[in-house]
Amino acid sequence: MRQRRVVTALAIPLAFAFVAASCGSDSSSSNVTTAGTTATEGTTSTDTTPRETVPDVDTSVVAQTEKPVMGGSVTMGLEAEATGLRPWEDSCSSPCYNIMRTIYDTLMEEQGSGGYGPYLAEDLTPNADFTVWTMTLRPDISFHNGTPLTAQTIVDMFPLQQAGAAGASAISSSKLTGVTATGDLTVDYTLSGPNSAFAAFLAGAPLGMPFDPAAATADSAGYSTNPIGTGPFTIKSRDIDNETVVVRNPNYWRTDADGTQLPYLDSISFRPIPDEGTRLDALLSGTVTAMQSLRQGTIRDARAAGGNINLIEFQGNNTGGGMYNTAIAPYNDQRVRMGLNKMNDQKRVIEALGGTGISLPSTQWFSTDSPWWTQEAADSYPAFDFDGGKALIQEYVDDPARTDGKAPGEKIDVELSCPPDPTLIAAMQVIEQVWTGTGLINVKLTQYDQATHINNAVSDKHFAHCWRWGGQGDPAAQIDPFVADPAVSVANFPNYNDPEMQQWAAEADATDDFETRKALYSKIMTKINEQAILWYSGSTAVMVATEPDVKGIISWDLPSGEIGVGIPDAAVRWQEVFVSAG
Amino acid sequence: MATTEFDDAQNAEIVSLTGGDTTPQDEFVVPQGVKPPRKSVWAVFKEMPILVKLSTIWLVVLLLSALYAQLDVRVFHGSLPLADPNLQLNGFNPKTGEFGTGAVLESPSWQHPLGTDALARDTFSRALHGTYVSVIVAVVSVTCGVVVGGLLGSLVGFVRGKTETGLMAMIDVLLAFPALVLLLALISIFEVRDLFVISFVIGLLSIPAYTRVSRANSLAISNREFVTAAEAIGTKKWTILRREIIPNVLPTLLAYAMVAAAAVIVVEGTLSFLGLSVQLPTATWGNMINQARRDIKVDFGQVLYPALLLTFTVLALNQVGDFFQRRSSHRASSL
Repeated sequence: MRQRRVVTALAIPLAFAFVAASCGSDSSSSNVTTAGTTATEGTTSTDTTPRETVPDVDTSVVAQTEKPVMGGSVTMGLEAEATGLRPWEDSCSSPCYNIMRTIYDTLMEEQGSGGYGPYLAEDLTPNADFTVWTMTLRPDISFHNGTPLTAQTIVDMFPLQQAGAAGASAISSSKLTGVTATGDLTVDYTLSGPNSAFAAFLAGAPLGMPFDPAAATADSAGYSTNPIGTGPFTIKSRDIDNETVVVRNPNYWRTDADGTQLPYLDSISFRPIPDEGTRLDALLSGTVTAMQSLRQGTIRDARAAGGNINLIEFQGNNTGGGMYNTAIAPYNDQRVRMGLNKMNDQKRVIEALGGTGISLPSTQWFSTDSPWWTQEAADSYPAFDFDGGKALIQEYVDDPARTDGKAPGEKIDVELSCPPDPTLIAAMQVIEQVWTGTGLINVKLTQYDQATHINNAVSDKHFAHCWRWGGQGDPAAQIDPFVADPAVSVANFPNYNDPEMQQWAAEADATDDFETRKALYSKIMTKINEQAILWYSGSTAVMVATEPDVKGIISWDLPSGEIGVGIPDAAVRWQEVFVSAG
Repeated sequence: MATTEFDDAQNAEIVSLTGGDTTPQDEFVVPQGVKPPRKSVWAVFKEMPILVKLSTIWLVVLLLSALYAQLDVRVFHGSLPLADPNLQLNGFNPKTGEFGTGAVLESPSWQHPLGTDALARDTFSRALHGTYVSVIVAVVSVTCGVVVGGLLGSLVGFVRGKTETGLMAMIDVLLAFPALVLLLALISIFEVRDLFVISFVIGLLSIPAYTRVSRANSLAISNREFVTAAEAIGTKKWTILRREIIPNVLPTLLAYAMVAAAAVIVVEGTLSFLGLSVQLPTATWGNMINQARRDIKVDFGQVLYPALLLTFTVLALNQVGDFFQRRSSHRASSL
């Protein structure tokens, strides 16, 4: 029990990461968009539209061709104030990352191709069984206060990361047990077991963003308002809930391909503007020069607004949907879960979410643009089939051995719960109408605030539960805890204990061969679909919109010249953003 | 229009104070009082200012609309000319086994007088069904407040002493507690988001206010000469309370209830907006506003229609409440 409690504490930040905005976003990236339309009419109870024919949105990351200009500033409207600016402590979401990425660099970065390349690190090499990773840092990199970044810095950060909420969770997930300096710039990360995806953790904030451990130890709370990193900007002022201003770091270590010192901008102001419409209006009226959003409805409004804005959309490996708590009846019967899934009209749910032409239908945790996406998993996801779904429910209802203890013939009880967001409320009602229409299901719709909603999942007080799946990092970071024994992993929210999936996940951790890992994760995604543990709606789209002269949002690159991943979670890498002279 | 206790001798009625009890004081037989002539509803309506008249008409129309919507569902099983408030016209219809061809956020038309919402449901029908929710919430919670709060306030205002001190201290504590927080806490206790449960909880929380209003009136009436006279002739306290205090408190309380009903409807709208009222897909004005706000830039009407209904209803209840409050400011003794 103690072990489970510990994991519970670690799982809560992970849960927030899973469900963070409950209506947003992502899977590859795009520069300006094209909207497709999805037909919903038909004449039979079965959706016969081939999934592959669903119109795509433009999701390509493109290199910047316009010559950058030094100077200028950007004011960005954020959906919320940053929860904090301490990478080892504060569980971040999109607004927080937007600010953090100005202050801090990461040791590794995600490439547009899906892999991870060195950033502050010069090299990262695993041993044969992926239990020890040796990292070499770039030389001559300093924090904003002049302190050099060395191997000892990484070692000294570790105790703080172990004690920090965000850091502890990442340490547990990554299997990291120790950090040792083997040279001035060389560090060994020792893991408790094989983890071929460890590089992904060094691209994330909790383990991957170096901070000054001496300053953090001296004043941990103050670090959130006066953060010190190695990033392209330094903090100038932080007025919480009003404005955070960062200014150019004159000693930043990076230059662009032409040798020009980065960053290009003089300063960036971040202003929390929680209301989606107000934030968009602020951009349209020129009050801010950039904004981010994880809401499909806002993307739709931004598209409709037309006018003089630069709209950058992005879809990453994150999909909306939900899960069944397979530990309780009637969800512990595959027939019920599959029956419900077959009667979940995905296209209409996406439409209700406001995502038609914006959000692509999902069949797995990865979007169609992800290198991890597979046709095998896509084919295993059930199409809408009312009659087929009803037949499965009927079979369960008539079964004398039905697991919910009710008499044969009695309706089953299903509680569908989502946070009280208008888009999710709409989606719930789409599902409810069809499920109720079978005459076999008593559907109860409940809405709890997001914190309660997450807590219900963490504490196993959930039934059919809206959730968000996947993430931009390596699949292992989320799949491993998801398939682990629910007795020890709270992140296995559906409580589906499957040794076969656990074995596949372990095999994937023990190899760095991409195709092998892809095949293993495909098996897991396929089994999830066949067992109907989850349901999916669509990939969650995110957006950064700017005034037309703000450039370089999507086209950042790594020191190696590899183009970066884009703007997952609508979090911008600011070092190569500039304000065009034209 | 000032009236006196005996200005219409023809309506005088002499009754026994206790209805036949044989206790000594029951031997007194006194005039109950002279009641002013009871005006017809039409007469009362005619004396209303124009704004109050319009408000009354509005409320009556709302009541009839709510009744019609419920008759359609409960008695006629959807056969009356009113769209199914929950049928998504663009989705799969399990009853027909076909996909609908309706449109979301459709503009008003003869078929859909207020257009359709984001799920292609008829907004007019949903507004009518939402009216029923508002009416029930108002009636149940006001009844709860008037009966319990009215009785408690009348009682303590008349008997005074430690009973009053103790009870009013409790009432003050309840009033001091942030009402919305208390309401959210109570609502969350109940697993079932039933319309009557919601109404009851709101009613429960409105009791302190009713108690204060009725106590204040009870205190004033207790000092009136006809109460003093009744006490002087040895009338039982309960009888005085029943025959003198409560009947005199009630008109003011009912007038207050009209105004309070408006507040209650707003509270229900707030709960609906927060997703804490009746279970979806039941339509309420609050959840209609909540669900339509996402599309406010695309179709402002879907937010506007329920908001207008809410606004006009609150305005109407305030107008009518104020009218009756003014009208009930004088009342004669019945003893």
